[in-house]
Amino acid sequence: MSTATKPYDSTLQAALLLLPTAAVLVAFLYYPALETFRLSLYETLFLGQRQTWTGLGNFVSLLTSDVYRYSFLITVAFAAVVVFGTLGVSLLIGYLIFSVDVRSSVYLVAAIWPYALPPAVAAILLNFILHPNLGIFTHYLELLTPFTLDWFNDGPQAFAILAVVAVWKQLGYNIIFIVAALNNIPEILTENARIDGVGRFRMLYKVYVPMIAPTMTFLVIMNTIYAFFSTFPLVDLMTSGGPSDATNFLIFKLYRDAFQFNSLGLASAQSVILFVVVSILMYLQLRFASGYGRYGG
Amino acid sequence: MATETDTTNIDARRLVHRLPDDVLLHGGIVFSILLMASPLLLAVIMSTQSTTEVYQVTNLGLGSKGLSNYSDALVNYDFSTYMLNSFVMSVIVVVGKVTLSLFAALALVYYRFPYERAVFMFILLTLLLPVPVRIVPLFQLMADLGWTNSLLALTGPYVASATAVFLFRQQFMGISASLVEVARLDGVGPLTFLFRVLIPMSRGMIAGVCVITFIYTWNQFLWPLVVVTDKSSQVVQVGIRYLQGSAQAGLTQWGLIMAGAVLALLPPLVVLIVLHRPLLRTLTIQQK
Repeated sequence: MSTATKPYDSTLQAALLLLPTAAVLVAFLYYPALETFRLSLYETLFLGQRQTWTGLGNFVSLLTSDVYRYSFLITVAFAAVVVFGTLGVSLLIGYLIFSVDVRSSVYLVAAIWPYALPPAVAAILLNFILHPNLGIFTHYLELLTPFTLDWFNDGPQAFAILAVVAVWKQLGYNIIFIVAALNNIPEILTENARIDGVGRFRMLYKVYVPMIAPTMTFLVIMNTIYAFFSTFPLVDLMTSGGPSDATNFLIFKLYRDAFQFNSLGLASAQSVILFVVVSILMYLQLRFASGYGRYGG
Repeated sequence: MATETDTTNIDARRLVHRLPDDVLLHGGIVFSILLMASPLLLAVIMSTQSTTEVYQVTNLGLGSKGLSNYSDALVNYDFSTYMLNSFVMSVIVVVGKVTLSLFAALALVYYRFPYERAVFMFILLTLLLPVPVRIVPLFQLMADLGWTNSLLALTGPYVASATAVFLFRQQFMGISASLVEVARLDGVGPLTFLFRVLIPMSRGMIAGVCVITFIYTWNQFLWPLVVVTDKSSQVVQVGIRYLQGSAQAGLTQWGLIMAGAVLALLPPLVVLIVLHRPLLRTLTIQQK
């Protein structure tokens, strides 16, 4: 923006306008974040009352701990399942909605409502519907297939159930962006392909998906951040990290180490590792998913 | 001649294909929407059932309890307090975040001051600091300030936001330069300019940010769980956790738990349905 269009030049006034935001960001974001870095270098004893310098000791014990390494591994696997599960289903539903020529937004609202769904509610609803003994879905699944749902005791099943809940809750957000991106593609670009008599779903993968690639990249990153950071209520309400650590994701382990075992230094080191994760993701986002906006929605 | 037959052929083929294709499309959409909504619909049904009815797994009729699970949750399980706390928390964060971010965006877009770019980056970089990255010291800070178990702890860390500042900045930058020039020539003060020109011209964006913020705040779980231990100050998402715990003596009262879950979902759902237009517009701008 050229300076000619900036009508005001009082630095004092600008500072006053920025002050409330800056104060909150410094007090509640920057300061605690820096404290996290400092604390990560200390070992905390006696319920956090005494701190002893340990340098990178916390990081060494995390990286050599089988529990933490396993937690990291299953979190990455969980993120991958959630990201691609969500994108696959959202793409399908978003494309169907885009394909009907109804301009009314009834379908859209009926498809995006999980955006408003609290993760805790999503967890508790599916906890009941998929309950090994009482779930109505479980009942019919076991009636119609040889499959038995036993996710209170079966690790891989618990992992899969949490992925289903995470995907379900995230569908709304993804469908919003996919439908918007599809609607932004200029019609002229897709007309040629359409006349060739290409099937509807071939069209989706050959024509539409490449055209909304920037939106898809954006969603991959947002869904990854979601899987890493926002799935705490699911674990807390459904599996408590079990059975035998099968769903002990990084965020849940961090919570337990910090607030149940009071290992504040160790928990802070885990926060630092999460900071590295989110930094990498944000960097990828800046590098690959923004600065476009032509068909990106 | 040849082209004419071609087009009629295509038209005819389209006509033949059109109908079943459309039926399939609509069928596919209705099926997916119903599948997505089915856990919620089942929960609503089960929330009217007594525990005995819930335990007859395949009983899908409306239960004998009517709405009494809801009143039970609200009155005997403190959901009225939790809902009120959630509501007050969400409204404070919405009002605070929108106000602070409008001021910040006004400074960023319409003021010349040193280190503009650095200030903007300083705000944007907080995107790298979600709650889990700073949760231990943030909790200690709240304890030191004596803010635990209070609305200050629930709202304070959330009233400033890089996203909202970014969105309002984008919005202001899109407002025509000639209008700004008129304001400048007329000697309109910055606050008059904000309230008389910018805010009226940004109603859609402000509504969108309000919806995003309300839903985001209402749905918070981890931070209230950590910073509030006193039940009378707790929010409804963690209230679900309490309900799950207390309903598990003997036969779990799933009807009651489902009623609590539906209550905890209703406010953000209503906000989404009523204000989906500004929400959709604002979200898709955020991506750029």
